[in-house]
Amino acid sequence: MSGTRLARNEQINGWLFIAPSVLLIGIFLVYPILWSLWMSFQVGKGMNFSFGGFTNIIRLTKDPIFQIALTNTLIFLVFQVPIMLTLALLLASALNDPKLKFRGFFRTAIFLPCVTSLVAYSALFRSMFSNEGVVNKTLMAMHIIDQPILWTSDPFWAKVLVISAITWRWTGYNMIFYLAALQNIDRSIYEAAKIDGVPAWARFTQITVPMLKPVILFTSVTSTIGTLQLFDEVFNITEGGPANATMTLSLYIYNLTFRFMPSFGYASTVSYVIVVGVAILSFVQFYLARERSRA
Amino acid sequence: MSGLKLRGVRKSYGNVQVLKGIDLDIDSKEFVVFVGPSGCGKSTLLRMIAGLEDITDGDIAIGGRRVNDVDPSKRGIAMVFQSYALYPHMTVRENMGFALKFAGVPKAEIEKQVQEAAKILELQPLLERRPKELSGGQRQRVAIGRAIVRHPQVFLFDEPLSNLDAELRVHMRIEIAKLHKELQTTIIYVTHDQVEAMTLADKIVVLRGGEIAQVGTPLKLYDDPDNLFVAGFIGSPKMNFLKGQLENERVVLPEYGNISFPASVSASAPQEVTVGIRPDAFDAGGSEQLPLKVEIVEHLGNETYAYGRLGSGELLTIATDNDRQVKPGDDFVARFNPSSLLLFSEDGQRIR
Repeated sequence: MSGTRLARNEQINGWLFIAPSVLLIGIFLVYPILWSLWMSFQVGKGMNFSFGGFTNIIRLTKDPIFQIALTNTLIFLVFQVPIMLTLALLLASALNDPKLKFRGFFRTAIFLPCVTSLVAYSALFRSMFSNEGVVNKTLMAMHIIDQPILWTSDPFWAKVLVISAITWRWTGYNMIFYLAALQNIDRSIYEAAKIDGVPAWARFTQITVPMLKPVILFTSVTSTIGTLQLFDEVFNITEGGPANATMTLSLYIYNLTFRFMPSFGYASTVSYVIVVGVAILSFVQFYLARERSRA
Repeated sequence: MSGLKLRGVRKSYGNVQVLKGIDLDIDSKEFVVFVGPSGCGKSTLLRMIAGLEDITDGDIAIGGRRVNDVDPSKRGIAMVFQSYALYPHMTVRENMGFALKFAGVPKAEIEKQVQEAAKILELQPLLERRPKELSGGQRQRVAIGRAIVRHPQVFLFDEPLSNLDAELRVHMRIEIAKLHKELQTTIIYVTHDQVEAMTLADKIVVLRGGEIAQVGTPLKLYDDPDNLFVAGFIGSPKMNFLKGQLENERVVLPEYGNISFPASVSASAPQEVTVGIRPDAFDAGGSEQLPLKVEIVEHLGNETYAYGRLGSGELLTIATDNDRQVKPGDDFVARFNPSSLLLFSEDGQRIR
């Protein structure tokens, strides 16, 4: 029966190898997730809480700030993700052209924002988009506007500012995925298309885009998750203002937990709204991108 | 009218000259094979005809029309790529009809063309499949189908069989030959495999280092090569080359005990030559003889090749008329007739 003993030894060895990571994941990932799920049913302030059943969920429906935060988050999602991914895709195909000079420079330049320090770039954006900032001055010098845009104090423009900031930061990151995928496409497919007389726009929409579908799905899911969790930019650039015009769910969770009298239970409930949102949207995206069964 | 005329065609990448002036006429409905070792420029030349590479200098005309600056899709050509280059997200039907869609062909007509091509290539049961669900040979046929539906004047094939296994390659070779008979169009076919070239071509263009080494029918190149390169490249097993001297209408082989025999040509002054003799030119009833020691024997069933040499001479390949008794270590007398020898000068050119 040495065979079974060998198999058992291998099993024990296997578990020993993964035990450290299982332990760490359990303590720092699984436990907090389950604990926050439990917390989301608790009511109370600070460390005094008690089981409240669906009280927190009912509170969601009556909480105007939550509803503003949810709406804002969805607005950011609906506008920012498609704009960013389209931009990333166009840039990637442009930078994949072997005839383009300084490709390496452009690739690096467009990728750099996502590795720059968050605080530094936020400070820069704040100064650039201040009322007297370089953006307003430039636009006025070009006679595109005749009055400075109140980027941080107008609710509409504040949203535009946040969308521009995250687009600036994450477009290059997504572009890298597309570039990598593009480089895996056999060049002769495009040559065949050229000989087939397929015009450039159709080569892009009917060959490039379908062939990148798995990567597009991946980036759209990760970007959706990122935008639903949007916190950094609104916290650092607009602080959720003006008048909650750029308040997002994550920022609201932060405020509920650390700014106001801590309400851990309710904050957990709002967190789970994001979880459910991510789950639903990811499912929808996977469903839309599924391999169509043949007619 | 779908012949091709190439005049002084050159291609350079920076300072590197890849094609050094190609002049070539290809007749309508001719099956022409570009053959040569890798790096000889044969694929580049094909891609220039296709319009996928710029022409550095010279002119290319298809069907009497200069096409140097004509878009690839308007040259009346269709190309089959080595990697097949099928659109992976489309079905076989969509792959074959894709070009017609952009040519403004009505849907019903596209369907008719696709069905017709599918019938020729026996692809009908596979029309709804995607490329990844096909075998290599089936993909190859789809790639050919995609070319057929466009009814080109000229088909271009870029090493189409090199990704297939040996058995399938022979099969597809026959398919392509049949296809040429059926379609009656000009075909330009690039390969590094001289057997493919010999079996398929009406006319072979042997390229070497960006220049044409020789143009001719397969048998012309086999029987009457212009130079050492073509003589060595065409034919399998390779032609034997021996060092020799030509003097007074006789050839002397110093490495073979200075044996000599009459030459078909004469030289005014003694000169170093290379003597070429094909393995199958050895003939048991020949008038001249070369004594050898056999080193290796290959039995192919229908033929037995003996590899042998004399002393430190070149290793010779001899087709033995299927002499199955010959063994390594045997002394063997290879006989031949002087008329079956080819002589090449020191610069590799044929002496006629």
